[in-house]
Amino acid sequence: MNRKLKRSLLCWLVLSPLVVAVLFPFAVMFFTSFKPASEVFVYPARWLPVHWRWQNYVDMWEAANFGVALRNSIEVSVLSTLLALAVSLPAAYALARFPFRGRGLYRQFLLVTQMLSPILLVVGLFRLAAMIPFGDGNLVDTKLSVIVSYAAFNIAFAVWMLSSYFQTVPRDLEESAWLEGCSRTGAVFRVFLPLAVPAMVVTAIFTFISAWNEFAVVYTLIRSPENKTLTVQVTDMVAGKYTVEWQLVMAATLAATLPVSVVFAWLQRYLVKGLALGAVK
Amino acid sequence: MRPTPRAVAAPRAPWLLIVPSLVLALFIISYPIFNIVYQSLHDVSRFGQIRGFSGWQNFYNVLDDPMFMSVLKNTIVWTICVVVGTVAISVPVALVLNQDFYGRGIARTIVMLPWSVSLTMTAVVWRWAFNDDYGMVNVTLQRLGVIAGPIHWLATPQYAFPVEIAVGILVSIPFTTTILLGGLSSVPGDIYEAARIDGANAWQQFRRLTLPLLRPFINMAVLLNVIYVFNSFPIIWVMTQGGPDESTHILVTWLYELGFRLGRPGEAAAVSLVMLVILFAFSLVYLKLQSLRGGQAEGDAA
Repeated sequence: MNRKLKRSLLCWLVLSPLVVAVLFPFAVMFFTSFKPASEVFVYPARWLPVHWRWQNYVDMWEAANFGVALRNSIEVSVLSTLLALAVSLPAAYALARFPFRGRGLYRQFLLVTQMLSPILLVVGLFRLAAMIPFGDGNLVDTKLSVIVSYAAFNIAFAVWMLSSYFQTVPRDLEESAWLEGCSRTGAVFRVFLPLAVPAMVVTAIFTFISAWNEFAVVYTLIRSPENKTLTVQVTDMVAGKYTVEWQLVMAATLAATLPVSVVFAWLQRYLVKGLALGAVK
Repeated sequence: MRPTPRAVAAPRAPWLLIVPSLVLALFIISYPIFNIVYQSLHDVSRFGQIRGFSGWQNFYNVLDDPMFMSVLKNTIVWTICVVVGTVAISVPVALVLNQDFYGRGIARTIVMLPWSVSLTMTAVVWRWAFNDDYGMVNVTLQRLGVIAGPIHWLATPQYAFPVEIAVGILVSIPFTTTILLGGLSSVPGDIYEAARIDGANAWQQFRRLTLPLLRPFINMAVLLNVIYVFNSFPIIWVMTQGGPDESTHILVTWLYELGFRLGRPGEAAAVSLVMLVILFAFSLVYLKLQSLRGGQAEGDAA
Protein backbone atom coordinates (compact mmCIF):
# COMPACT_ATOMS: atom_id res chain seq x y z
CA MET A 1 0.00 0.00 0.00
CA ASN A 2 2.74 2.38 0.99
CA ARG A 3 4.67 1.42 -2.12
CA LYS A 4 1.77 2.28 -4.33
CA LEU A 5 1.46 5.67 -2.68
CA LYS A 6 5.13 6.37 -3.31
CA ARG A 7 4.81 5.25 -6.90
CA SER A 8 1.75 7.46 -7.35
CA LEU A 9 3.64 10.52 -6.15
CA LEU A 10 6.52 9.75 -8.49
CA CYS A 11 4.20 9.24 -11.46
CA TRP A 12 2.38 12.50 -10.84
CA LEU A 13 5.70 14.28 -10.41
CA VAL A 14 6.91 13.03 -13.81
CA LEU A 15 3.63 14.01 -15.44
CA SER A 16 3.31 17.38 -13.74
CA PRO A 17 4.98 19.58 -16.42
CA LEU A 18 2.72 18.09 -19.08
CA VAL A 19 -0.36 18.41 -16.86
CA VAL A 20 0.42 22.09 -16.31
CA ALA A 21 0.94 22.69 -20.04
CA VAL A 22 -2.35 20.96 -20.89
CA LEU A 23 -4.43 22.74 -18.28
CA PHE A 24 -2.81 26.13 -18.85
CA PRO A 25 -4.91 27.10 -21.91
CA PHE A 26 -8.09 25.98 -20.15
CA ALA A 27 -7.24 28.23 -17.20
CA VAL A 28 -6.49 31.11 -19.58
CA MET A 29 -9.83 30.62 -21.32
CA PHE A 30 -11.77 30.32 -18.11
CA PHE A 31 -10.37 33.32 -16.23
CA THR A 32 -10.15 35.66 -19.22
CA SER A 33 -13.74 34.91 -20.19
CA PHE A 34 -15.02 36.31 -16.88
CA LYS A 35 -12.97 39.51 -16.87
CA PRO A 36 -14.54 42.87 -17.67
CA ALA A 37 -12.86 44.56 -20.66
CA SER A 38 -11.17 47.04 -18.31
CA GLU A 39 -9.37 44.21 -16.51
CA VAL A 40 -8.25 42.38 -19.64
CA PHE A 41 -6.04 45.19 -20.87
CA VAL A 42 -4.41 46.28 -17.67
CA TYR A 43 -0.69 46.24 -16.99
CA PRO A 44 0.59 44.39 -15.08
CA ALA A 45 -2.08 41.80 -15.86
CA ARG A 46 -3.29 39.32 -13.27
CA TRP A 47 -4.73 35.83 -13.45
CA LEU A 48 -7.99 36.17 -11.56
CA PRO A 49 -10.74 38.61 -12.40
CA VAL A 50 -11.55 41.13 -9.63
CA HIS A 51 -15.14 41.41 -10.78
CA TRP A 52 -16.57 38.25 -12.31
CA ARG A 53 -18.54 39.35 -15.34
CA TRP A 54 -21.02 36.66 -16.45
CA GLN A 55 -22.46 39.13 -18.91
CA ASN A 56 -19.47 38.37 -21.20
CA TYR A 57 -21.18 35.17 -22.30
CA VAL A 58 -24.32 37.05 -23.29
CA ASP A 59 -22.26 39.66 -25.16
CA MET A 60 -20.23 36.95 -26.84
CA TRP A 61 -23.39 35.20 -28.03
CA GLU A 62 -24.29 38.38 -29.96
CA ALA A 63 -20.79 39.37 -31.06
CA ALA A 64 -19.82 35.94 -32.35
CA ASN A 65 -23.20 35.16 -33.88
CA PHE A 66 -22.74 32.10 -31.71
CA GLY A 67 -26.22 30.58 -32.06
CA VAL A 68 -26.04 30.40 -35.85
CA ALA A 69 -22.46 29.08 -35.84
CA LEU A 70 -23.38 26.49 -33.20
CA ARG A 71 -26.30 25.25 -35.27
CA ASN A 72 -24.09 25.04 -38.37
CA SER A 73 -21.39 23.13 -36.49
CA ILE A 74 -23.95 20.64 -35.19
CA GLU A 75 -25.59 20.23 -38.58
CA VAL A 76 -22.32 19.73 -40.47
CA SER A 77 -20.85 17.39 -37.86
CA VAL A 78 -23.95 15.21 -37.44
CA LEU A 79 -24.68 14.81 -41.14
CA SER A 80 -21.07 14.16 -42.13
CA THR A 81 -20.77 11.58 -39.34
CA LEU A 82 -23.91 9.78 -40.50
CA LEU A 83 -22.69 9.74 -44.09
CA ALA A 84 -19.22 8.53 -43.11
CA LEU A 85 -20.70 5.74 -40.96
CA ALA A 86 -23.16 4.68 -43.65
CA VAL A 87 -20.37 3.97 -46.14
CA SER A 88 -17.77 2.78 -43.62
CA LEU A 89 -19.90 0.18 -41.83
CA PRO A 90 -20.22 -2.24 -44.75
CA ALA A 91 -16.58 -1.75 -45.70
CA ALA A 92 -15.41 -2.42 -42.15
CA TYR A 93 -17.59 -5.53 -41.98
CA ALA A 94 -16.07 -6.79 -45.21
CA LEU A 95 -12.54 -6.18 -43.93
CA ALA A 96 -13.25 -7.92 -40.64
CA ARG A 97 -15.12 -10.94 -42.00
CA PHE A 98 -14.06 -11.80 -45.55
CA PRO A 99 -10.60 -12.82 -46.64
CA PHE A 100 -10.88 -11.44 -50.18
CA ARG A 101 -8.47 -10.49 -52.93
CA GLY A 102 -7.64 -6.81 -53.00
CA ARG A 103 -8.03 -6.48 -49.25
CA GLY A 104 -4.46 -5.27 -48.85
CA LEU A 105 -4.90 -2.92 -51.78
CA TYR A 106 -7.99 -1.39 -50.20
CA ARG A 107 -6.12 -0.90 -46.92
CA GLN A 108 -3.30 0.85 -48.77
CA PHE A 109 -5.84 3.05 -50.49
CA LEU A 110 -7.18 4.05 -47.07
CA LEU A 111 -3.67 4.90 -45.89
CA VAL A 112 -3.17 7.06 -48.98
CA THR A 113 -6.41 8.95 -48.32
CA GLN A 114 -5.03 9.65 -44.85
CA MET A 115 -1.99 11.16 -46.49
CA LEU A 116 -4.05 13.40 -48.75
CA SER A 117 -5.15 15.74 -46.04
CA PRO A 118 -7.83 18.23 -47.09
CA ILE A 119 -5.38 21.10 -46.92
CA LEU A 120 -3.25 19.63 -49.73
CA LEU A 121 -6.29 19.30 -51.93
CA VAL A 122 -7.96 22.51 -50.87
CA VAL A 123 -7.24 24.32 -54.14
CA GLY A 124 -8.74 21.45 -56.14
CA LEU A 125 -11.57 20.90 -53.66
CA PHE A 126 -12.61 24.50 -54.17
CA ARG A 127 -12.70 24.01 -57.95
CA LEU A 128 -14.71 20.80 -57.53
CA ALA A 129 -17.31 22.62 -55.45
CA ALA A 130 -17.37 25.49 -57.94
CA MET A 131 -17.96 23.07 -60.81
CA ILE A 132 -21.02 21.25 -59.44
CA PRO A 133 -24.25 23.18 -60.02
CA PHE A 134 -26.50 23.40 -56.97
CA GLY A 135 -29.60 25.54 -56.49
CA ASP A 136 -29.02 28.92 -58.11
CA GLY A 137 -25.25 28.66 -58.14
CA ASN A 138 -22.77 25.97 -57.23
CA LEU A 139 -21.58 24.09 -54.16
CA VAL A 140 -19.21 26.82 -52.98
CA ASP A 141 -20.55 28.36 -49.78
CA THR A 142 -22.94 25.48 -49.09
CA LYS A 143 -22.89 23.22 -46.09
CA LEU A 144 -23.45 20.23 -48.36
CA SER A 145 -19.98 20.58 -49.87
CA VAL A 146 -18.40 20.63 -46.41
CA ILE A 147 -20.47 17.65 -45.23
CA VAL A 148 -19.51 15.45 -48.17
CA SER A 149 -15.82 16.40 -47.90
CA TYR A 150 -15.70 15.64 -44.17
CA ALA A 151 -17.42 12.30 -44.67
CA ALA A 152 -14.92 11.33 -47.37
CA PHE A 153 -11.88 12.32 -45.36
CA ASN A 154 -13.17 10.45 -42.30
CA ILE A 155 -13.69 7.12 -44.06
CA ALA A 156 -10.17 5.84 -43.40
CA PHE A 157 -10.39 6.48 -39.67
CA ALA A 158 -13.92 5.08 -39.37
CA VAL A 159 -13.15 1.90 -41.30
CA TRP A 160 -9.97 1.39 -39.30
CA MET A 161 -11.69 1.78 -35.93
CA LEU A 162 -14.81 -0.19 -36.86
CA SER A 163 -13.07 -3.15 -38.44
CA SER A 164 -10.68 -3.52 -35.53
CA TYR A 165 -13.64 -3.72 -33.15
CA PHE A 166 -15.61 -5.98 -35.47
CA GLN A 167 -12.77 -8.49 -35.39
CA THR A 168 -13.33 -8.84 -31.66
CA VAL A 169 -17.00 -9.82 -32.13
CA PRO A 170 -16.92 -13.64 -32.11
CA ARG A 171 -17.72 -15.16 -35.47
CA ASP A 172 -19.37 -18.19 -33.81
CA LEU A 173 -22.41 -16.14 -32.85
CA GLU A 174 -23.24 -15.42 -36.47
CA GLU A 175 -22.38 -18.95 -37.55
CA SER A 176 -24.72 -20.46 -35.00
CA ALA A 177 -27.46 -18.15 -36.28
CA TRP A 178 -26.91 -19.54 -39.78
CA LEU A 179 -27.30 -23.07 -38.44
CA GLU A 180 -30.64 -22.06 -37.03
CA GLY A 181 -31.74 -21.11 -40.52
CA CYS A 182 -30.95 -17.43 -40.49
CA SER A 183 -29.62 -16.01 -43.76
CA ARG A 184 -26.20 -14.40 -43.82
CA THR A 185 -27.76 -10.93 -44.14
CA GLY A 186 -30.29 -11.75 -41.45
CA ALA A 187 -27.52 -12.82 -39.09
CA VAL A 188 -25.74 -9.53 -39.69
CA PHE A 189 -28.78 -7.50 -38.79
CA ARG A 190 -30.09 -9.63 -35.91
CA VAL A 191 -26.90 -10.87 -34.28
CA PHE A 192 -23.89 -8.86 -35.42
CA LEU A 193 -25.12 -5.26 -35.55
CA PRO A 194 -26.61 -5.21 -32.03
CA LEU A 195 -23.24 -6.37 -30.71
CA ALA A 196 -21.43 -3.75 -32.79
CA VAL A 197 -23.45 -0.82 -31.49
CA PRO A 198 -20.87 0.31 -28.91
CA ALA A 199 -18.13 0.36 -31.55
CA MET A 200 -20.38 2.36 -33.85
CA VAL A 201 -21.21 4.86 -31.16
CA VAL A 202 -17.56 5.39 -30.25
CA THR A 203 -16.49 5.75 -33.87
CA ALA A 204 -19.35 8.13 -34.54
CA ILE A 205 -18.38 10.34 -31.64
CA PHE A 206 -14.76 10.59 -32.75
CA THR A 207 -15.79 11.32 -36.31
CA PHE A 208 -18.14 13.96 -34.95
CA ILE A 209 -15.35 15.57 -32.93
CA SER A 210 -12.97 15.70 -35.86
CA ALA A 211 -15.65 17.33 -38.02
CA TRP A 212 -16.50 19.73 -35.19
CA ASN A 213 -12.86 20.78 -34.94
CA GLU A 214 -11.95 20.97 -38.64
CA PHE A 215 -10.85 24.29 -39.99
CA ALA A 216 -9.20 24.42 -43.44
CA VAL A 217 -12.12 23.08 -45.48
CA VAL A 218 -14.85 25.28 -43.99
CA TYR A 219 -12.50 28.24 -44.02
CA THR A 220 -12.06 27.79 -47.77
CA LEU A 221 -15.48 26.64 -48.92
CA ILE A 222 -17.76 28.76 -46.75
CA ARG A 223 -18.00 32.48 -47.34
CA SER A 224 -21.24 33.85 -45.90
CA PRO A 225 -21.70 34.40 -42.14
CA GLU A 226 -24.94 32.42 -42.01
CA ASN A 227 -23.09 29.24 -43.07
CA LYS A 228 -19.96 29.57 -40.94
CA THR A 229 -19.15 27.02 -38.24
CA LEU A 230 -17.72 27.71 -34.80
CA THR A 231 -14.04 27.27 -35.68
CA VAL A 232 -14.20 29.79 -38.52
CA GLN A 233 -16.44 32.15 -36.57
CA VAL A 234 -14.01 32.28 -33.66
CA THR A 235 -11.02 32.77 -35.96
CA ASP A 236 -12.86 35.66 -37.62
CA MET A 237 -13.08 37.36 -34.23
CA VAL A 238 -9.27 37.32 -34.04
CA ALA A 239 -7.88 37.42 -37.57
CA GLY A 240 -7.15 40.77 -39.16
CA LYS A 241 -8.76 42.76 -36.33
CA TYR A 242 -6.96 45.78 -34.97
CA THR A 243 -8.50 45.42 -31.54
CA VAL A 244 -9.54 41.99 -30.38
CA GLU A 245 -12.03 41.67 -27.54
CA TRP A 246 -10.18 38.80 -25.94
CA GLN A 247 -12.63 38.30 -23.07
CA LEU A 248 -15.39 37.57 -25.62
CA VAL A 249 -13.11 35.42 -27.77
CA MET A 250 -12.16 33.32 -24.74
CA ALA A 251 -15.82 32.97 -23.75
CA ALA A 252 -16.56 31.74 -27.27
CA THR A 253 -13.67 29.25 -27.36
CA LEU A 254 -14.59 27.88 -23.95
CA ALA A 255 -18.27 27.53 -24.86
CA ALA A 256 -17.34 25.80 -28.13
CA THR A 257 -14.75 23.53 -26.50
CA LEU A 258 -16.08 22.44 -23.13
CA PRO A 259 -19.00 20.22 -24.22
CA VAL A 260 -16.77 18.33 -26.64
CA SER A 261 -13.97 17.98 -24.08
CA VAL A 262 -16.35 16.52 -21.52
CA VAL A 263 -17.66 13.89 -23.94
CA PHE A 264 -14.12 13.15 -25.06
CA ALA A 265 -12.82 12.77 -21.52
CA TRP A 266 -15.55 10.24 -20.90
CA LEU A 267 -14.80 8.22 -24.03
CA GLN A 268 -11.04 8.38 -24.50
CA ARG A 269 -10.39 4.92 -23.06
CA TYR A 270 -12.25 3.32 -25.98
CA LEU A 271 -9.98 5.14 -28.39
CA VAL A 272 -6.89 3.56 -26.86
CA LYS A 273 -8.39 0.12 -27.40
CA GLY A 274 -9.64 0.71 -30.93
CA LEU A 275 -6.55 2.39 -32.34
CA ALA A 276 -4.27 -0.19 -30.78
CA LEU A 277 -6.19 -3.07 -32.30
CA GLY A 278 -6.22 -1.34 -35.67
CA ALA A 279 -2.57 -0.39 -35.60
CA VAL A 280 -1.21 -3.90 -35.51
CA LYS A 281 -3.71 -5.79 -37.64
CA MET B 1 -9.44 -17.73 -40.39
CA ARG B 2 -10.85 -20.65 -42.43
CA PRO B 3 -13.26 -19.11 -44.98
CA THR B 4 -16.80 -20.25 -44.42
CA PRO B 5 -18.57 -22.00 -47.29
CA ARG B 6 -20.89 -19.05 -47.84
CA ALA B 7 -18.08 -16.54 -48.00
CA VAL B 8 -16.49 -18.58 -50.76
CA ALA B 9 -19.80 -18.90 -52.56
CA ALA B 10 -20.16 -15.11 -52.86
CA PRO B 11 -16.77 -13.67 -53.80
CA ARG B 12 -18.36 -10.46 -54.98
CA ALA B 13 -20.00 -9.69 -51.63
CA PRO B 14 -16.98 -7.99 -50.02
CA TRP B 15 -16.54 -5.75 -53.03
CA LEU B 16 -20.18 -4.73 -52.97
CA LEU B 17 -19.73 -3.81 -49.32
CA ILE B 18 -16.64 -1.76 -50.07
CA VAL B 19 -17.92 0.07 -53.12
CA PRO B 20 -19.83 2.90 -51.36
CA SER B 21 -16.80 4.00 -49.35
CA LEU B 22 -14.54 3.65 -52.37
CA VAL B 23 -16.82 5.74 -54.56
CA LEU B 24 -17.20 8.53 -52.03
CA ALA B 25 -13.48 8.70 -51.26
CA LEU B 26 -12.51 8.59 -54.92
CA PHE B 27 -15.07 11.24 -55.80
CA ILE B 28 -13.72 13.73 -53.26
CA ILE B 29 -10.08 12.92 -53.89
CA SER B 30 -9.66 12.15 -57.58
CA TYR B 31 -11.11 15.28 -59.13
CA PRO B 32 -9.19 17.66 -56.86
CA ILE B 33 -5.97 15.79 -57.66
CA PHE B 34 -6.68 15.94 -61.37
CA ASN B 35 -7.59 19.61 -61.03
CA ILE B 36 -4.43 20.43 -59.10
CA VAL B 37 -2.28 18.77 -61.76
CA TYR B 38 -4.23 20.65 -64.44
CA GLN B 39 -3.94 24.04 -62.72
CA SER B 40 -0.28 23.53 -61.99
CA LEU B 41 0.41 23.12 -65.73
CA HIS B 42 -1.65 26.14 -66.78
CA ASP B 43 -1.54 29.87 -66.43
CA VAL B 44 -4.42 30.57 -64.00
CA SER B 45 -5.81 34.03 -63.27
CA ARG B 46 -6.45 35.08 -59.70
CA PHE B 47 -10.15 34.31 -60.23
CA GLY B 48 -9.41 30.79 -61.36
CA GLN B 49 -9.76 31.30 -65.11
CA ILE B 50 -7.46 29.09 -67.14
CA ARG B 51 -5.51 31.26 -69.55
CA GLY B 52 -3.58 28.61 -71.39
CA PHE B 53 -1.07 25.83 -71.08
CA SER B 54 2.16 26.96 -69.48
CA GLY B 55 4.13 23.74 -69.07
CA TRP B 56 6.38 23.73 -66.04
CA GLN B 57 6.23 27.52 -65.64
CA ASN B 58 4.35 27.41 -62.31
CA PHE B 59 6.91 24.99 -60.91
CA TYR B 60 9.77 27.20 -62.10
CA ASN B 61 8.10 30.23 -60.49
CA VAL B 62 7.71 28.39 -57.20
CA LEU B 63 11.22 26.97 -57.16
CA ASP B 64 12.73 30.34 -58.17
CA ASP B 65 10.76 32.20 -55.54
CA PRO B 66 13.20 33.40 -52.86
CA MET B 67 10.61 32.27 -50.30
CA PHE B 68 10.70 28.65 -51.41
CA MET B 69 13.99 27.57 -49.86
CA SER B 70 13.28 29.21 -46.51
CA VAL B 71 9.76 27.77 -46.44
CA LEU B 72 11.06 24.32 -47.29
CA LYS B 73 13.70 24.61 -44.57
CA ASN B 74 11.05 25.73 -42.07
CA THR B 75 8.82 22.81 -43.04
CA ILE B 76 11.61 20.32 -42.45
CA VAL B 77 12.58 21.92 -39.12
CA TRP B 78 8.90 22.05 -38.08
CA THR B 79 8.19 18.43 -38.98
CA ILE B 80 11.35 16.97 -37.44
CA CYS B 81 11.18 19.04 -34.24
CA VAL B 82 7.49 18.37 -33.62
CA VAL B 83 7.61 14.65 -34.41
CA VAL B 84 10.85 13.95 -32.52
CA GLY B 85 9.72 16.08 -29.57
CA THR B 86 6.34 14.37 -29.52
CA VAL B 87 7.72 10.84 -29.56
CA ALA B 88 10.46 11.70 -27.04
CA ILE B 89 7.82 12.95 -24.59
CA SER B 90 5.11 10.41 -25.40
CA VAL B 91 7.19 7.29 -24.73
CA PRO B 92 7.91 8.13 -21.07
CA VAL B 93 4.37 9.49 -20.64
CA ALA B 94 2.88 6.27 -21.98
CA LEU B 95 5.18 4.21 -19.73
CA VAL B 96 4.05 6.21 -16.70
CA LEU B 97 0.39 6.00 -17.67
CA ASN B 98 0.77 2.25 -17.99
CA GLN B 99 1.80 1.99 -14.32
CA ASP B 100 -0.73 1.26 -11.64
CA PHE B 101 -1.01 4.42 -9.53
CA TYR B 102 -3.60 6.53 -7.73
CA GLY B 103 -5.45 8.88 -10.07
CA ARG B 104 -4.34 7.13 -13.25
CA GLY B 105 -7.75 7.59 -14.85
CA ILE B 106 -7.61 11.32 -14.25
CA ALA B 107 -4.02 11.52 -15.47
CA ARG B 108 -4.92 9.72 -18.70
CA THR B 109 -7.88 12.01 -19.26
CA ILE B 110 -5.78 15.14 -18.73
CA VAL B 111 -3.05 13.96 -21.09
CA MET B 112 -5.66 13.19 -23.78
CA LEU B 113 -7.54 16.45 -23.33
CA PRO B 114 -5.80 18.58 -26.02
CA TRP B 115 -7.05 16.11 -28.60
CA SER B 116 -10.62 17.17 -27.99
CA VAL B 117 -9.93 20.83 -28.68
CA SER B 118 -9.88 22.11 -32.22
CA LEU B 119 -6.36 23.06 -33.32
CA THR B 120 -7.81 26.39 -34.34
CA MET B 121 -9.18 27.10 -30.89
CA THR B 122 -5.96 25.94 -29.25
CA ALA B 123 -4.00 28.29 -31.47
CA VAL B 124 -6.35 31.18 -30.68
CA VAL B 125 -5.98 30.62 -26.94
CA TRP B 126 -2.19 30.30 -27.11
CA ARG B 127 -1.99 33.42 -29.25
CA TRP B 128 -3.72 35.29 -26.45
CA ALA B 129 -1.65 33.56 -23.77
CA PHE B 130 1.54 34.70 -25.54
CA ASN B 131 0.31 38.29 -25.88
CA ASP B 132 3.15 40.74 -25.16
CA ASP B 133 1.76 42.82 -22.30
CA TYR B 134 -1.43 41.10 -21.20
CA GLY B 135 -0.79 37.41 -21.95
CA MET B 136 -0.67 34.95 -19.07
CA VAL B 137 2.64 33.40 -20.16
CA ASN B 138 4.55 36.62 -19.60
CA VAL B 139 2.52 37.41 -16.48
CA THR B 140 3.31 34.02 -14.96
CA LEU B 141 6.98 34.04 -15.92
CA GLN B 142 7.38 37.54 -14.47
CA ARG B 143 5.62 36.55 -11.25
CA LEU B 144 7.94 33.57 -10.91
CA GLY B 145 10.89 35.87 -11.53
CA VAL B 146 12.06 33.93 -14.60
CA ILE B 147 12.03 37.00 -16.85
CA ALA B 148 12.41 40.68 -16.00
CA GLY B 149 10.19 42.26 -18.63
CA PRO B 150 7.63 41.03 -21.17
CA ILE B 151 9.03 39.01 -24.06
CA HIS B 152 7.54 39.72 -27.49
CA TRP B 153 7.07 36.05 -28.24
CA LEU B 154 5.11 36.09 -31.46
CA ALA B 155 6.57 39.31 -32.84
CA THR B 156 10.16 38.09 -32.69
CA PRO B 157 11.28 35.73 -35.47
CA GLN B 158 13.61 33.66 -33.27
CA TYR B 159 10.89 33.06 -30.63
CA ALA B 160 7.73 32.72 -32.74
CA PHE B 161 8.70 29.51 -34.49
CA PRO B 162 9.89 27.63 -31.37
CA VAL B 163 6.67 28.66 -29.61
CA GLU B 164 4.63 27.21 -32.47
CA ILE B 165 6.71 24.04 -32.41
CA ALA B 166 6.03 23.69 -28.68
CA VAL B 167 2.30 24.06 -29.26
CA GLY B 168 2.57 21.55 -32.10
CA ILE B 169 4.23 19.04 -29.77
CA LEU B 170 1.63 19.57 -27.06
CA VAL B 171 -1.29 18.85 -29.38
CA SER B 172 0.40 15.79 -30.95
CA ILE B 173 1.13 14.05 -27.64
CA PRO B 174 -2.40 12.65 -27.03
CA PHE B 175 -2.63 10.76 -30.32
CA THR B 176 0.91 9.40 -30.00
CA THR B 177 0.46 8.38 -26.38
CA THR B 178 -2.78 6.63 -27.32
CA ILE B 179 -1.05 4.48 -29.91
CA LEU B 180 1.82 3.67 -27.53
CA LEU B 181 -0.55 2.81 -24.67
CA GLY B 182 -2.33 0.43 -26.97
CA GLY B 183 1.02 -1.15 -27.69
CA LEU B 184 1.93 -1.43 -24.02
CA SER B 185 -1.40 -3.05 -23.18
CA SER B 186 -0.54 -5.87 -25.59
CA VAL B 187 2.72 -6.61 -23.72
CA PRO B 188 2.19 -9.62 -21.46
CA GLY B 189 3.11 -8.90 -17.84
CA ASP B 190 4.78 -12.23 -17.14
CA ILE B 191 7.78 -11.55 -19.36
CA TYR B 192 8.78 -8.81 -16.93
CA GLU B 193 8.41 -11.29 -14.12
CA ALA B 194 10.79 -13.58 -15.95
CA ALA B 195 13.22 -10.73 -16.62
CA ARG B 196 13.23 -9.76 -12.94
CA ILE B 197 14.01 -13.31 -11.95
CA ASP B 198 16.91 -13.24 -14.39
CA GLY B 199 18.16 -10.13 -12.61
CA ALA B 200 17.44 -7.49 -15.27
CA ASN B 201 17.22 -3.95 -13.85
CA ALA B 202 14.59 -1.41 -14.88
CA TRP B 203 16.70 0.15 -17.64
CA GLN B 204 17.61 -3.25 -19.10
CA GLN B 205 13.96 -4.24 -19.03
CA PHE B 206 13.12 -1.07 -20.95
CA ARG B 207 15.95 -1.46 -23.50
CA ARG B 208 15.61 -5.18 -24.08
CA LEU B 209 11.90 -5.82 -23.62
CA THR B 210 9.69 -2.76 -23.77
CA LEU B 211 11.40 -0.85 -26.58
CA PRO B 212 11.54 -3.76 -29.05
CA LEU B 213 7.90 -4.61 -28.31
CA LEU B 214 6.90 -0.99 -28.75
CA ARG B 215 8.86 -0.55 -31.98
CA PRO B 216 6.00 -1.30 -34.42
CA PHE B 217 3.80 1.16 -32.53
CA ILE B 218 6.50 3.84 -32.49
CA ASN B 219 7.00 3.35 -36.23
CA MET B 220 3.29 3.71 -36.82
CA ALA B 221 3.18 6.83 -34.64
CA VAL B 222 6.15 8.41 -36.45
CA LEU B 223 4.68 7.76 -39.89
CA LEU B 224 1.23 9.11 -39.04
CA ASN B 225 2.63 12.06 -37.13
CA VAL B 226 4.91 13.05 -39.99
CA ILE B 227 1.89 13.07 -42.28
CA TYR B 228 -0.26 15.09 -39.87
CA VAL B 229 2.44 17.55 -38.81
CA PHE B 230 3.72 18.14 -42.32
CA ASN B 231 0.13 19.02 -43.30
CA SER B 232 -0.69 20.98 -40.17
CA PHE B 233 -2.22 24.33 -41.01
CA PRO B 234 -4.21 26.00 -38.19
CA ILE B 235 -1.48 26.50 -35.55
CA ILE B 236 0.79 28.63 -37.69
CA TRP B 237 -2.00 30.25 -39.65
CA VAL B 238 -3.84 31.45 -36.55
CA MET B 239 -0.84 32.31 -34.36
CA THR B 240 1.35 34.23 -36.80
CA GLN B 241 -0.04 33.84 -40.36
CA GLY B 242 3.53 33.07 -41.43
CA GLY B 243 4.89 36.28 -39.87
CA PRO B 244 6.84 38.06 -38.49
CA ASP B 245 8.75 38.87 -41.69
CA GLU B 246 7.42 35.69 -43.31
CA SER B 247 9.74 33.79 -40.97
CA THR B 248 7.27 31.13 -39.82
CA HIS B 249 5.72 30.02 -43.11
CA ILE B 250 5.71 26.30 -43.81
CA LEU B 251 4.63 24.79 -47.13
CA VAL B 252 0.92 24.47 -46.23
CA THR B 253 0.53 28.04 -45.00
CA TRP B 254 2.50 29.36 -47.97
CA LEU B 255 0.35 27.27 -50.30
CA TYR B 256 -2.77 28.78 -48.77
CA GLU B 257 -1.37 32.27 -49.01
CA LEU B 258 -0.45 31.78 -52.67
CA GLY B 259 -3.82 30.29 -53.56
CA PHE B 260 -6.26 32.41 -51.63
CA ARG B 261 -4.44 35.63 -50.64
CA LEU B 262 -1.90 36.43 -53.33
CA GLY B 263 -4.07 35.20 -56.22
CA ARG B 264 -1.60 32.70 -57.68
CA PRO B 265 -3.67 29.47 -57.75
CA GLY B 266 -1.49 27.84 -60.40
CA GLU B 267 1.56 28.16 -58.21
CA ALA B 268 -0.41 27.02 -55.15
CA ALA B 269 -1.36 23.89 -57.08
CA ALA B 270 2.30 23.37 -57.93
CA VAL B 271 3.22 23.61 -54.23
CA SER B 272 0.49 21.04 -53.42
CA LEU B 273 2.04 18.61 -55.87
CA VAL B 274 5.56 19.21 -54.56
CA MET B 275 4.21 18.43 -51.07
CA LEU B 276 2.46 15.29 -52.27
CA VAL B 277 5.65 14.05 -53.88
CA ILE B 278 7.62 14.71 -50.69
CA LEU B 279 5.03 12.87 -48.57
CA PHE B 280 4.85 9.87 -50.86
CA ALA B 281 8.61 9.64 -51.15
CA PHE B 282 8.95 9.80 -47.38
CA SER B 283 6.25 7.18 -46.77
CA LEU B 284 7.71 4.76 -49.32
CA VAL B 285 11.24 5.08 -47.99
CA TYR B 286 10.03 4.79 -44.41
CA LEU B 287 7.86 1.75 -45.00
CA LYS B 288 10.65 0.14 -47.01
CA LEU B 289 13.14 0.73 -44.22
CA GLN B 290 10.69 -0.69 -41.68
CA SER B 291 10.08 -3.86 -43.65
CA LEU B 292 13.83 -4.28 -44.19
CA ARG B 293 14.50 -3.88 -40.49
CA GLY B 294 11.49 -6.03 -39.59
CA GLY B 295 12.81 -8.79 -41.86
CA GLN B 296 16.21 -8.53 -40.22
CA ALA B 297 14.73 -8.73 -36.73
CA GLU B 298 12.81 -11.85 -37.68
CA GLY B 299 16.00 -13.28 -39.11
CA ASP B 300 17.77 -12.58 -35.83
CA ALA B 301 15.03 -14.27 -33.89
CA ALA B 302 15.26 -17.34 -36.07
